[in-house]
Order: sequence, then C-alpha cells, then structure tokens
Amino acid sequence: MFDDRSPIYRQIADRIKADVLSGALTADEQVMSTNQYAAYYRINPATAAKAFQQLVDEKVLYKKRGIGMFVSTEARDMLRAQGRETFFGEVVDPMVAEARAIGIPLDDVIRRIEQHQNGAV
Amino acid sequence: MRVDVQGLTVRYGSVTAVDDMSFSLSGNKIYGLLGRNGSGKTSLMSVLAGYRKPAGSVELDGVPVFENAAAMRQVCLVRHTPDAADKGDKVSYVLEYGAAWRETWDNDYALELAELFKLSLKAKAGELSLGQRSALGVVIGLASRSPLTMFDESHLGMDTPTRYAFYDALLNDFMAHPRTIIVSTHLIEELASLLEEVVIIDGGRLVLQEEADVLRSRGTEVTGNAADVDEFTAGLTVLSEKSLGRTKATMVYGTLDDARLIRARQLGLELGPIALQDLFVHLTATVGGVR
Amino acid sequence: MKIFRHLTTTLVTFCAIVAAVVFAFAVVVTFVVSAFSDIEISAWNVVASQIARWFLFWVGIYVIHNVLPIAVAHGRTRREFLVAASGFSVVLAVAMSVLARLGFLAEGGIYALMDWHADEHGTPLAYFLMFLVWCVAGMFCAAAFDRFGAAGVFSVPVGLASVIITTVRIPGSGNLPFIGNIPSLLGEGWHVASVAAFLVVLAGTWAVVRDMPVRVRTS
Repeated sequence: MFDDRSPIYRQIADRIKADVLSGALTADEQVMSTNQYAAYYRINPATAAKAFQQLVDEKVLYKKRGIGMFVSTEARDMLRAQGRETFFGEVVDPMVAEARAIGIPLDDVIRRIEQHQNGAV
Repeated sequence: MRVDVQGLTVRYGSVTAVDDMSFSLSGNKIYGLLGRNGSGKTSLMSVLAGYRKPAGSVELDGVPVFENAAAMRQVCLVRHTPDAADKGDKVSYVLEYGAAWRETWDNDYALELAELFKLSLKAKAGELSLGQRSALGVVIGLASRSPLTMFDESHLGMDTPTRYAFYDALLNDFMAHPRTIIVSTHLIEELASLLEEVVIIDGGRLVLQEEADVLRSRGTEVTGNAADVDEFTAGLTVLSEKSLGRTKATMVYGTLDDARLIRARQLGLELGPIALQDLFVHLTATVGGVR
Repeated sequence: MKIFRHLTTTLVTFCAIVAAVVFAFAVVVTFVVSAFSDIEISAWNVVASQIARWFLFWVGIYVIHNVLPIAVAHGRTRREFLVAASGFSVVLAVAMSVLARLGFLAEGGIYALMDWHADEHGTPLAYFLMFLVWCVAGMFCAAAFDRFGAAGVFSVPVGLASVIITTVRIPGSGNLPFIGNIPSLLGEGWHVASVAAFLVVLAGTWAVVRDMPVRVRTS
C-alpha cells in the first residue's frame, strides 16, 4: 500500500520506474490502465492518471490513443543513465559518510566492494 | 455536477453550525469533507440534500436545491443511520423505496451490494446492528447512482473488512459511473488515497479546499538539532513542535522553495512529508483550546 | 405520480385488509354477545363511526411522520409529497367509506337472517367526509409536532374543531374527548362545512410542511 506522507502519484511513478529498471516491465509493454491501477492499489484514478502523465512527460511511457499506455523503447536506457547521475550523489556519498561516522576505514569498504566484484559474497 | 455554496449559514436556535460558508465543487471527483465533531459537516450536507432550507445560496448546476424537484432528484445523502428507512421496514422494502422513487436507481446493483455486505433482505431496519445500518446506508448511497452522492460517516460501526469492502465498492463504482461523491470521515488515513480533493471545515467555517496531493506537498516535518530547526523555521507557519533532548521536530505549512531546501541540506536537517490526517489535525482547532 | 402510486397501493391495501379483519372480528363479537343479550345496535356501526376515524387519523400521522422524511431522503420535494398525500387522502377516504358501506350491507344481511336489530348509521357521504377530515387532521397534527415539538399542540384544537364538524351528523358516533353533545348548529350545510374544514386543515398542513426541516440532526 502507499505511504500517505508523500505525494502518491510520485510514489506510483517511482514504482513504475523501478519496474522498468528491473525488467519487470519491458520496452513497448502495455502497463495497466489508470482505472486498473486505481482499483488494484485502492487509490483515486485521478492520482494514477497524474502519475502516468508525469511518466509520459518524462518520456518513460507513451500513449496509444484508445488502447492504453506503453513503456517507451528508450525508457530503460534513459532511467539507467539518470540513475547513474544520482547514484554517486545519493547512494555512494552517503555511504561513505556513514562509514566515516561509524569509524570504518574506507579501505575496508573498498575491499568489500572488490569481494562483490569477485563473486565471493 | 457543479455545487455552489454562497454565504451559507445554518443555525439551530442559538447554535451556529455553519457560519457564512462559501465554496464550489466542480467536476466528477471523490471529495473528502474533513472536520472535527461539531464542525458543521452534517449540517452542510443536510442543506446540500435539501433537508433544510438554507440561509444563503446553495445551488446544484446553477439551480437552488431546496424544494426544487430537478435539483433534489439528483442528490442522495446517506448517514450511518439510513434516513430513507423506517425502523419497522424490512431491508427489501427499504430498497424498494429507492427503486420506486429514484430514476437513477440500479436495483440489481443494490441487491449485489446487500449480499456483499451480508444484509439479510428480511431483517428489519431497526434490528440491524450499527455496522449493518451503516452498510445499508452505503447500499442506498451507491445504488442510487445520484449525480451528487454524499456519505456522512458511513463507516460508523463497520469492522475493518467491511470498511475495505465499502472503499473498494465506492472506488469501482465511481470509476464505472463517474459522479460527484463527497465523503465525510474521521478515518482520514484510511480514505486519504481515495480522495482527489479535500474540503476542511472547522467551527462552521471553511478552512481550506485543495487537491489532496497539493495539500500534502505543503506540509513538511523538519527534524534536527533544535537550534538549527528553529533558525530554519523562523518566519514559516508552524503547525506543531516536538522536542526530545536537543532534537526537535517541527511541522511547518507552506511550500518550501529551492533556496530553503538547499539551506536545509546545509544545516543537516531532515525534511519529511506529513500525512493528510496529521495536516488535518494541526490545521483545525485544538481540543479544548484556542488557536 | 410515483409517491401517489406508492401511498395508494401500499396503504389502501393495508387499510382494506385491516377493515376486512375487523369486520370478521365484529361479526364474531356480535355472535358471542347474542348468546347473552339481545342485539340492539350494529357492531359495524361502532367500528365505522367511532373506531375507524382514529385509524384514519393514525394513517394521516404515519404519512407525514414516517413516509415524508423517506421521500425527501430520496430526492422528492415536500410539495410533490403533499400533492400526492392530498390526493391519497381523498382516495383513502373514498375507499374506506365504500368498505364501510359494504360492511353495512353484509351486516344487514346477517342481521336480517338472525332477526337482530341494528341502529341507524350515517350515509356513505358522511363517512367519506369524516374519514377525509380525520386523515388530514392526523397529517396536520403530525406536521405541527414534528416541526415545532411540544409547541405543536396548537394543532390539536384546530384538528378537534375540524373533526367535530364531520362527526356531528353521524348517528352513533359517540362523544369526543372534552366535547359533549353538540347541537346541530350547522343544519343542512354541514357537508359544505366539512369540505371547508378539510381544505383549511390541508392548507394548514401545507403551510407547516412546505419548508419544514427533515431528519434534523445537529453535528
């Protein structure tokens, strides 16, 4: 269910983007209609429509009139590129700050990452 | 369906339940009418349904409601005790009134809903439990398919599964047959995701009317070191403050511009959203106190 | 007219059934009494002239107190309802006076067979007017009390005055509360006076109901 504390339409949009990134939704695949989405998650259809409109504006989805909404072909690549940009600022930097706050030497962090790279974890 | 309320005042003797209220609703949406006990919700809805003659103007699609057949036809108000039922009437008989007197009534749907809510058609309205009476009200409200349908605390007495069944039925029927629906409720967090627009009233007055998402975006909870929080929130509208040691959490109301967001990050403050229910609590009068 | 149709089909049917049951009961009682004493009066006359009117009065109350709020809750205006209720009261009074007449005929047949003696009873027109005015008097009193609470008691003397007019000319109609034997002041114009009473009380009901709040709840 949705967290009532942040705009629901943004949460929906984020969820769909996550599905596109993970491959749960593939290029040119049709997504649920706003009404289906609304009924399934028990939200107002206007909210679902707003989320979809935002995704259309961001070119993650496109609309085929009379049929429905589809994942755009370039969505996954685009989201990955965007993800790259935010990854370092929103994931890596905070992780480094946290490691420092706890007192973990960055060398240990790097070693752990290398273990992932070698498939040892 | 357009609802226009202008300068509405409702008095019961010396008590003023609605005080010079004006607002408009347009478009088929699910509206939340939020207000504390005694805020005037029921009085407002009664006037919209033509139950009372208003002082001030109340119009549906530009036509005054009271004693106007064309307008009153289009409204259905249900409360947790079905107004459209006599204590001695059987449920089946109660539904027959609707079928006989409402042009938009869908009887098959009414029977489906009665079954969904496990209402025995043979039971007398007066013998139903509070939750069942509320359910009967919901059946009448939804099956009426009225262009303006209002549910006044229709969840009263319902257990959680029944409430969820109500929300699902409401949402699905709204999508299948779009109309103007006003829901007044205390259980705001349960209903919040269904609402497109909210109207908050307090002490008989309109506090605000806004799209639910826009309202949510105006609330921020600022958490961090007390001195930093105070510096940040200076000049903003503060809804509430909580302190624990040197940490402080302050709820503020109003959109924060980019400059403010950057400042928050600089100060190391955490900015979080506020749930609709919490916004409502803080935007309306404190219990037993003066704002 | 949906309301009119609803009122007539449900309530007239109900009243007819009640009338039939009461008639059967009256006949049984008469037979029982005949075992102990001579039959001097018509049992049905007691029903028609004294008891039935209170039933009609109750129907009038029911229509305003119980049915009107439901009609408003289903989007009907008070004016529509009053129009339908007015027509209904006439139809009901006609139906009941016809049933009264049939009852007298049937009873007359039984009495003739049993060689019993019945007392005089009123004409169908007299019963019609009595039932009509008692019914709208019920409506008026219900409206007054529903709207004004205890202050609605003003409707009682008005209602009383109107029903006396109709009852005076019906033999065997007995005494009303507080009122002894009223001399026939009205002479032959009494049925005109009855119709006037009907219109006055109906107008009073209309005046009270037309912008009456229904289902009052403060919250």
